[in-house]
Amino acid sequence: MKNASQWHAAVFVLACAAGCGDTTGGARVGFAVAAAGPSDATGSALSYISALGYQVTITRARLYIGALYLNQTVPTSGAQETGCIRPGIYVAQVTSSLSVDALSPQAQPFPTRGEGIASEAKAGELWLTGGDVQRIEDNTVIVDAAGTAQSGAQIYPFEARLTIGRNRLIPSMDPAYPGTNPICKQRIVSLIPTDLTPQEGGTLLVRIDPRRWFDTVDFSLVPKVQDSPALYRFSNGNDNPADLSLFNNGVRARTGAYSFSWQPAM
Amino acid sequence: MLLHAMQTSCIYRRRRPRRWIQAALVWVLGTCALSSVPAWADPSKSAPALTAPQPLVQVPATYPDLALGSRKEARVVVLATVATSGEVTAVEVSESAGEPFDGAALAAARAWRFAPAQSDGKPIESQVQIPFLFHAPTPAPEPPAPPVTPPVTPAGDPPKESGAVATEAAAQAGRSSTPIAPPADVEAADAAGSTPEPGHGKASFSTTVTGKRLPPASRGAADFHVEVGALSAVPRKNASEVLKLVPGILLTNDGSEAHADQVFLRGFDAREGQDIEFSVGGVPINESGNLHGNGYSDTHFILPELVAALRVIEGPFDPRQGNYAVAGSADYELGLSQRGIVGKFSAGNFGTFRALLLWGPRGAREGTFAAVELYETAGFGQNRDGRRATVMAQYEGKSGAHLYRITAQAYIASFHSAGVLREDDVRSGRLGFFDTYDPKQGADTGRYSLSGLLESRVASLLVRNQVYAIARPMRLRENFTGFLLDTQEPTQSLHAQRGDLIDLQSMAGTLGARGFARLSADILHQTQEIEVGYFARGDLVGNSQHRLEAATGNPYATESDLESRLGDIGLYVDFNLRPYRYIALRGGVRADLFTYDVLDKCAVQSVAHPSRQDPPGDASCLSQQDFGKYREPIQRSTTTGSAVMPRASLILGPLWGISAAISYGQGVRSIDPYYITQDAKTPFASAQSIDAGLSFSRRIGPIDLSLRTTFFQTRVDRDLIFSQTAGRNLLSNGTTRIGSASAARVTGSFFDMSTNLTYVHATFDDTGLLIPYVPDWVFRFDGSLFGELPWQKLRIRGKAFRGTLATGFTYVSPRPLPQGERSNPIAVMDLNATVGIWLFEVGVVATNLFDVQYRLGEYNYASDFGSQPFPTLVPMRHFSAGAPRQILFSFSVQLGGGR
Repeated sequence: MKNASQWHAAVFVLACAAGCGDTTGGARVGFAVAAAGPSDATGSALSYISALGYQVTITRARLYIGALYLNQTVPTSGAQETGCIRPGIYVAQVTSSLSVDALSPQAQPFPTRGEGIASEAKAGELWLTGGDVQRIEDNTVIVDAAGTAQSGAQIYPFEARLTIGRNRLIPSMDPAYPGTNPICKQRIVSLIPTDLTPQEGGTLLVRIDPRRWFDTVDFSLVPKVQDSPALYRFSNGNDNPADLSLFNNGVRARTGAYSFSWQPAM
Repeated sequence: MLLHAMQTSCIYRRRRPRRWIQAALVWVLGTCALSSVPAWADPSKSAPALTAPQPLVQVPATYPDLALGSRKEARVVVLATVATSGEVTAVEVSESAGEPFDGAALAAARAWRFAPAQSDGKPIESQVQIPFLFHAPTPAPEPPAPPVTPPVTPAGDPPKESGAVATEAAAQAGRSSTPIAPPADVEAADAAGSTPEPGHGKASFSTTVTGKRLPPASRGAADFHVEVGALSAVPRKNASEVLKLVPGILLTNDGSEAHADQVFLRGFDAREGQDIEFSVGGVPINESGNLHGNGYSDTHFILPELVAALRVIEGPFDPRQGNYAVAGSADYELGLSQRGIVGKFSAGNFGTFRALLLWGPRGAREGTFAAVELYETAGFGQNRDGRRATVMAQYEGKSGAHLYRITAQAYIASFHSAGVLREDDVRSGRLGFFDTYDPKQGADTGRYSLSGLLESRVASLLVRNQVYAIARPMRLRENFTGFLLDTQEPTQSLHAQRGDLIDLQSMAGTLGARGFARLSADILHQTQEIEVGYFARGDLVGNSQHRLEAATGNPYATESDLESRLGDIGLYVDFNLRPYRYIALRGGVRADLFTYDVLDKCAVQSVAHPSRQDPPGDASCLSQQDFGKYREPIQRSTTTGSAVMPRASLILGPLWGISAAISYGQGVRSIDPYYITQDAKTPFASAQSIDAGLSFSRRIGPIDLSLRTTFFQTRVDRDLIFSQTAGRNLLSNGTTRIGSASAARVTGSFFDMSTNLTYVHATFDDTGLLIPYVPDWVFRFDGSLFGELPWQKLRIRGKAFRGTLATGFTYVSPRPLPQGERSNPIAVMDLNATVGIWLFEVGVVATNLFDVQYRLGEYNYASDFGSQPFPTLVPMRHFSAGAPRQILFSFSVQLGGGR
């Protein structure tokens, strides 16, 4: 077999001499993947004033990422999301899960490497699921957050443990469009604008900013579940405006909460 | 008895040049390889002279002792095959007097020796009829006489007929006065050999020079007319593999043995024949309108044992070439040289067995035969079991100036297929190398055809007409992508991915005719020809493609449902002009008109504003338009398209055995009915090719040697690139191929070797990037050793064993893949060995002799077979596994043999 390999190598060298240096373009690449909180995080609490004027201090923020993808598709404002697998060419994927401490600025590596092609990515997708993205039942805690919000003298100690399953299913109101809201659409944060080209040996870093999750939340609408000490808990459903605000405008926000960056191989 | 002779070769040989000139020119040729085909630059094109075999040694038959008591007279006619060496290699009784006279005549005939028949000075195989007349011996018989060696009587040029040569050669011989005793007189006959006249001391016989119809005039270096000959012993699973005798061929198959092979020819990924015009005996194989690929060509219905010759033109250079001749054309010529009945049974590993029955009626032409094949295998690895049955029969006869041929064929097959595997799943151990993702993949196919041909010659006018009818059912089930394509549509009920298994059905009926009239005249002391021909074909094709749910196998979506009526009528004029004996100008123009009448029975598959009262739901083919307004789900589209294709070749030579040629031509591939829209101009794929080459062909001592090299460029304005997601070919941009092909063949009395090498650089015109999957380098070697085994101890009753050792070797360099990658190389060797004596022969065939684990096809694209927790959406390496070593043992028996 050794001789056969040498013979193959010799023939291949000969072939290359005649033009196999040409290529079909592009390359398949493998790369490291990590996630982290915002770069200005300290590793402990994050304090800020939200868009609604709350002084918010986040003391716990974990996000469970099932998988992530990069796509060549350019995000289009107002584009209707239909299927969960988007048209266009996917240029990168990470099909392993990671529970990310979003208060830590340190890169937390995914358990497996990412893979893809050396092609420019314009959009990122975070799949916030514990398993099959189409399966309705899923009790995986996707967001696990806690902290306090203060408006004037009112203090709202809060916690949020969000799952995405039947509790997030949106029934179709139009009989002509029974398939408008598959559960996968609730789980995929899609079309996160980005502009990077994966290369062999580099690192894809996803930064998560939990401040954006609560930016439009009116904490006064969060149900109080405990008096002493006081505790407000997001309802983990679509029936509460504060919860919807957290889920739809925060966790599933296309912009602000998540960003992708590329660190070339050193 | 008037017997025909069809010439075997168009090799034209001139006086021997000085050897140093030969050597220098051969050296200049450089990579010029030995050609597996006859020289293509015959200076006259007219039929070369044939010389009948001449008896050198005649052995009289001995009056059998067992018949002495009866003292009866008997007449036995023996049909003897004379090899190129002059030896009698096979005998059979064509007119019997019963035993023991038949045996005595056969024994005598085997001992005859001849100066072999010749075609243009080249020895060729022939058949000789030798009548023996047995007279009762005198009471005191004398001992047998020793063989006599008569002078050779040269034969004159045979008459020419029908583009081939028919000859009856009867030679007077046996002028020895040696008495034949006990005298079984060799029957005397007149020159016609038709009026036996008993006599003594004279012998006469008639001959049939075996061979094939004179091939059409060559179109230069890219025109390969391959006589399979002894290379038929090289293991070949099917007729497609005969193509490997010409340069630049790579065959892959991601389907099964009931799925057409994917053919790569000289830089073209011709898929399942969409860019190659395939035909068998002039009957088209390409399936117009096949949804899997317009021009899909499955050659598995052709028994490789019946492929007598193959003509491949690598490019569109002959006006006879029609639709699909973009990369070129391949025409199989059927024939069975072996007469009598041959039964062959093969069995081997993977539960494989094959039973084959071949029948060539004695005294009939080589074009007359019948064959039946049954084949079954459990297949290697998972999900590759299958079975098929094939029947082919052909009768070819001649009556006066008319040659006629009727061919019938039936073929059914059912195979499962393993499909492709992801490389990452195999490397991680999740799957074995020969496993499958989807056991529902496979193919069920059939083909039934009937054709008739009539050829007539009136003076210098040759007229041929052929009609045919074909019925072709087909069902394919393939899954390239797993669970990727079943996206949720807003109008559909909520669903998960149900599976991407394609279920394609096709039923095609074809009626057609083709023919020509060729007029020859001697002008400028050379034969000049003009040919006017036609091609007419109509197809009625029904196609549908569904997606099947993985869990249940139920169809959940209709992707296409087309009913197509397609027409193609082509006319051509072809000139074969020779202003000077060393210059030939061949070419003409062909024009084709294509008509399309396509009924799309699933024309509406989505609606922007569906009805709330009657929502479309999960139905694929909708009966509404915006806001629920009713419409039928069908749409008929008709259009036409025409193409005019000039083609020409200039051929110089041969001088000292060397010829040079340059060819230019245009070819088209008609559009897939899938793309037809009402009255829209039909977007043909059009190819322009130019080819220049050199050849050298000579007989050097006992060896026939031919070399050929050619350089080519081909540009296609709309190429086809296979889409794994669509499961079919999709139109792409323009492409260009530049390359060189070389071929070689060396043939002797006990060996036949052929080799070829091709390099091609195939790129997209707009980006300059390589076309994926097209191999840069393809190398092929075929070799066969044959003859009687030399060891005396192995003889039985003086009869030597005959043996064959044949091998085929293929090397394909790493192929470019999408994303800038290269595939693994392919290097596979096959071996066949047989030993036979008398009527029997045993053999062993080993394919992939060294059991190399190789990937026959490799692809980069996105798929999701559920092997990871989350969908895999980026392009990954996939492959279809090449077959491991397979060993088949065979036993065959030949009854009423001879050739």
